[in-house]
Amino acid sequence: MVRRRFLAWMGIVLVAALGQGAPARADIGVETPWHPAAAAYRSMMFLGDLKPVVWDQIGAAYEHPHPAAAVSRPAKIYFESLKGEAATAMVKAIAAKDRQALYETATRATSQLTRQTLAEATASLAAPGKAHQKVLEAQALYRSFGEFIDQADPEAGRRLGRAWLELTSSAGSQGVLGIGAVAPELEVFAGARKAIEEYLAANFEPERFTVREGLTPLPESVVAAQGEVKVKPWLPPGSNLNNQDPLPKLVLNFEEREIKETDLPLVAYGDMLFDSPLIFGEPARSLGLACSSCHNRSDVNQTFFIPGISHQKGAIDTRGSFFNPLFNDRRRGSLDIPSLRGLRFTAPYGRDGRFGSLRDFTRNVIVSEFAGNEPTPFMLDALVAYMLEFDFLPNDKLDKRGGLTEKASASAVRGAKLFRKPFPQMDGKACATCHIPSANFLDRQAHDIGSARPSYEGGRDGAFDTPTLLGAKFTAPYFHDGSLPTLASVVDWFNDRYKLKLRKSELADLTAYLETIGDANEPYQKFEGRKTKFRLNWEELTTFASTFETLLPKRDAKHADLMLETVATDLAADASGMTNAAAKPKVYEVAGYLSDTRKAIVADDWAAAEKSWARFKEFQAKYDEEMY
Amino acid sequence: MTRLTIDRRGLVLAGLAIAAAPHAPALAQKRKELVLAFIPQENPEKLQGDIKVISAWLAKEIGVPVRGFVGSDHAAAVEALRNGDADISFMGALPYVIANAQTGAIAVLAEVYRGSPTYTGRIFVRRDGAIEKLADLKGKAIAFADPISESGYLYPLDIFVENGLLQRGEDPKRFFGKVYFAGGYQQAMQAMQAGLVDAAGVSQYADLLLTPVQQPQVKWIAESKPIPSHVVIARKDLDPTLKAKFVAAMLKLNEPQNVALLKHVYSPDGYVEADPKSFDGVRELAKAYGLMK
Repeated sequence: MVRRRFLAWMGIVLVAALGQGAPARADIGVETPWHPAAAAYRSMMFLGDLKPVVWDQIGAAYEHPHPAAAVSRPAKIYFESLKGEAATAMVKAIAAKDRQALYETATRATSQLTRQTLAEATASLAAPGKAHQKVLEAQALYRSFGEFIDQADPEAGRRLGRAWLELTSSAGSQGVLGIGAVAPELEVFAGARKAIEEYLAANFEPERFTVREGLTPLPESVVAAQGEVKVKPWLPPGSNLNNQDPLPKLVLNFEEREIKETDLPLVAYGDMLFDSPLIFGEPARSLGLACSSCHNRSDVNQTFFIPGISHQKGAIDTRGSFFNPLFNDRRRGSLDIPSLRGLRFTAPYGRDGRFGSLRDFTRNVIVSEFAGNEPTPFMLDALVAYMLEFDFLPNDKLDKRGGLTEKASASAVRGAKLFRKPFPQMDGKACATCHIPSANFLDRQAHDIGSARPSYEGGRDGAFDTPTLLGAKFTAPYFHDGSLPTLASVVDWFNDRYKLKLRKSELADLTAYLETIGDANEPYQKFEGRKTKFRLNWEELTTFASTFETLLPKRDAKHADLMLETVATDLAADASGMTNAAAKPKVYEVAGYLSDTRKAIVADDWAAAEKSWARFKEFQAKYDEEMY
Repeated sequence: MTRLTIDRRGLVLAGLAIAAAPHAPALAQKRKELVLAFIPQENPEKLQGDIKVISAWLAKEIGVPVRGFVGSDHAAAVEALRNGDADISFMGALPYVIANAQTGAIAVLAEVYRGSPTYTGRIFVRRDGAIEKLADLKGKAIAFADPISESGYLYPLDIFVENGLLQRGEDPKRFFGKVYFAGGYQQAMQAMQAGLVDAAGVSQYADLLLTPVQQPQVKWIAESKPIPSHVVIARKDLDPTLKAKFVAAMLKLNEPQNVALLKHVYSPDGYVEADPKSFDGVRELAKAYGLMK
């Protein structure tokens, strides 16, 4: 069982809220749309902090409309509206690839833009509706800095937070349909504006900035006095760590055999770890990133995206500077995320098959890629035990040896012959030579088929591990870099690359075959009535919690602590997606018992832990029917 | 002005919205088409796309051409209904009762969310704070969404009236130490969650505007009477046959094969025929707070 993680940074809201709570989408987090200039600014600062700096994308953030912005308008239009040389200075800094200059010019310009918009609001006070809109626009620009001020200078954050409330309240209201207009309160407005502007000017438009190591927009007064204080890790606008929708169906071998996960504590603990950001280090941990963020429900999260780190949706560079600077290979190697279905049949691991052992591969992900502490042997055993349960999606168009059944179309049957036909242009090999039907459509070898250019003259590093074709209908795009969007485009690529000279009908037949062997009887999880996403999460999390019964007698504080923190945090957060919203406080209550259990363990008070655990079990059972 | 969609889109970044030109179509008393007036939202490109999709579907269902346009605001939409330039519009219960009084426009459909054509306003506080009941808020700071919002002000404020802590029409500052209008549900909730104010008076669903990690940190301590959801309204003298066809078509959006289209009309879960009596409470409140005579 694998579940999704929630994002934990400000600015993420729920789609449900857009429509007063549509239950089917209630657990999907989306970003509040950004002001185009704020979106560009935050993106430029994030991208400027990557090593190597992604200058082409920084330029694009300035020049082109930002996908996370509320309106499709390039940021430069706003910056160019500033008096003086602010916009030109930014362009020069980008052209010169000068990080410090980029920070200084972009920060000054964004602060000036915020203040300029406040000035426009002031000038519009005779028309309260317009003034109010301008205040909200200025607030949307202030969002560029707000969360960093709150963290680095909390007293100022609170003072300015109240000032914004004063501004929105004193700007007046135009009423509705000509009724209920409220006049502005000029003095209050002026005082609040002054407080905000003075802070912005002093901290984001100083005469001289301290030279920055990182480009997180920290107030200058704080940096000058204390250096670059730590704030919570953050991602640029347009990032998406949420689950895909519809949710893929998870096929676990033990479940298909009707064995309960609660009877498999090692597997259940591994399931929990697969979903826990606590096994990773910073920044992944604070961002809520877990194995399941990318390999959700053993499948591919095709919506996963972090600008600068993903070259497209469903891709990630796990060896860049962001997640673990120590492991930074400086290659901008964003790869398409692979499905983990049938994992025990798909060794070796890694796109080029660099790891023969799943255990070694898993440790590498935790420690090297995501900067986690060395996992214990128990943790690795558990993760591997869980992942080895991932099965392929059942497909009644295929028999157990990879042959087609009578449910396959005539076109697919013709395609099967082509799939097995050796081509001299492919050294006498057929598609089936590598994608062996009776071996789950793979051969456990790496081949260079010409899908990637050598990374240097004479390089032989273009070989990739043969991927299975089972379930492939649902794992687009294809190839290591996700460069081919459809199975038809894959067929076309082979036809062109190897000059196979297939007729149009043959291309269609081969595509039909791939779509048939890559099909599934039930690719997505079904939800109806009380079988909601929250219900699924509730059952998963309480199953994770059940591992405490194994850890308790052994007084295994380390592993119990990790599990209880993961489950208590997730349970409370998951309640936001409940259909039965009235029962949310009960979820918080149950999560509270798990937190109490954890606190007792941390205090080495196992008697108290047992009491809290008993209360958890009592109320888990008592509230169970309401958990949907 | 209660709908989260409108409030969020209309208030959060209202200044950014590329105000779609209020191209009221030509005078249309005798036209053989149905004209829908939409209220602008944050993403004008999406709205234009939505209008195309829903207009085409309605035209097919009703058998007459259907066209949509985006007015500059509620007033423009209501004016278009009044002078016959538009036949149908979409708005919250408060603007509707005012529009009804001003132009005779009639609510024909009510949006359904979570199985109900009504929702409520609530008073939210921090779970770890000292506020347990409404009376604890005497002299404290509260944030509402907007002074002309039913769920973001009037109904939550009226909870204090119902509990004898305020008189209707009385300056709320006589009870609270400070009253803010944060500009939207999300801003009001964030101000409360951050401890800038002691409470937020907003829609019952506003806690969903906090992050999932923040949501367990807040709770609600009081709830208002039911508020009618947003409505679809028709101009007073719209041809009854055409109106009936439109209503029947819109109700078909509840059918499984059509529900995907709901996202093109502000994303409710569905529609029911509007009950005229359900707006009496809104009228009463609007009168009590001087928004209607």
